[in-house]
Amino acid sequence: MELHTIAHGAGVVFIFLGIATIIVAGIGLFKLPDLYLRASAVGTSAGLGVAAIVVGALLMDFSWLNLIKASVAIIAQLLTSAVGSMAIARSGYLNNSMPAEITHTDDLLKTRRDNFES
Amino acid sequence: MMWPVRIISFMFWYAKEFLLANVHVTADILRPRRKMKTNPAIIAVPAASKTDTEWTLISCLITLTPGTLTLSISREHKILYVHGMFVDSRESLVAEIQEMEDRMLRALRRQPGDLSRPTEAPVVVPSDEHEGSDEP
Repeated sequence: MELHTIAHGAGVVFIFLGIATIIVAGIGLFKLPDLYLRASAVGTSAGLGVAAIVVGALLMDFSWLNLIKASVAIIAQLLTSAVGSMAIARSGYLNNSMPAEITHTDDLLKTRRDNFES
Repeated sequence: MMWPVRIISFMFWYAKEFLLANVHVTADILRPRRKMKTNPAIIAVPAASKTDTEWTLISCLITLTPGTLTLSISREHKILYVHGMFVDSRESLVAEIQEMEDRMLRALRRQPGDLSRPTEAPVVVPSDEHEGSDEP
């Protein structure tokens, strides 16, 4: 019973950590200046937030079957959030969404076609 | 080090980097706007990856780390185009990415083998053949 209580408490802590991460990611959406910063900071932080909530739920209701389900869910969540962020950022660059003014170096700009025609 | 040991040590190292980067980005977002330290840049990082698996995995791992994002890769020139959130100098981001790649390749390959990277910047000229240029 004692172990059960500890696991339950840890589960609640993880769920609240996950919620806090997602809230911070939401604040980041408003504060960061351009698409790329948002995608890199927020996209994957939100992935971590969901992963933390899954871990919390697993701790509150532990079984071996749930452990397998949770592992698959976390791996899939992290992979898809990474691939999704890359796809969004790349398509944004191809559609002429320029990085914010504070971006001090842009090596990818050298490969742009319109850079050669000017 | 033996191969399985390298895999496990890479996993722990990556987990540590991932959590540290999360704390870093979270702290910066919560700072008042004029004190934010974001210093973004898009840097061409020379890469040592060879196979499809290695390219996919390194770009996913870079993107998964908060604060860095793979925008594009050029396998022909062996370059990863990485957008970084806290880039003080070109060298610091390149060193960070290359350390991650070195550790990843040592974990993926039974024999680490060739870890050399191109040292010269590629000459990129657009061509009308569809060759990874930015036109769809």
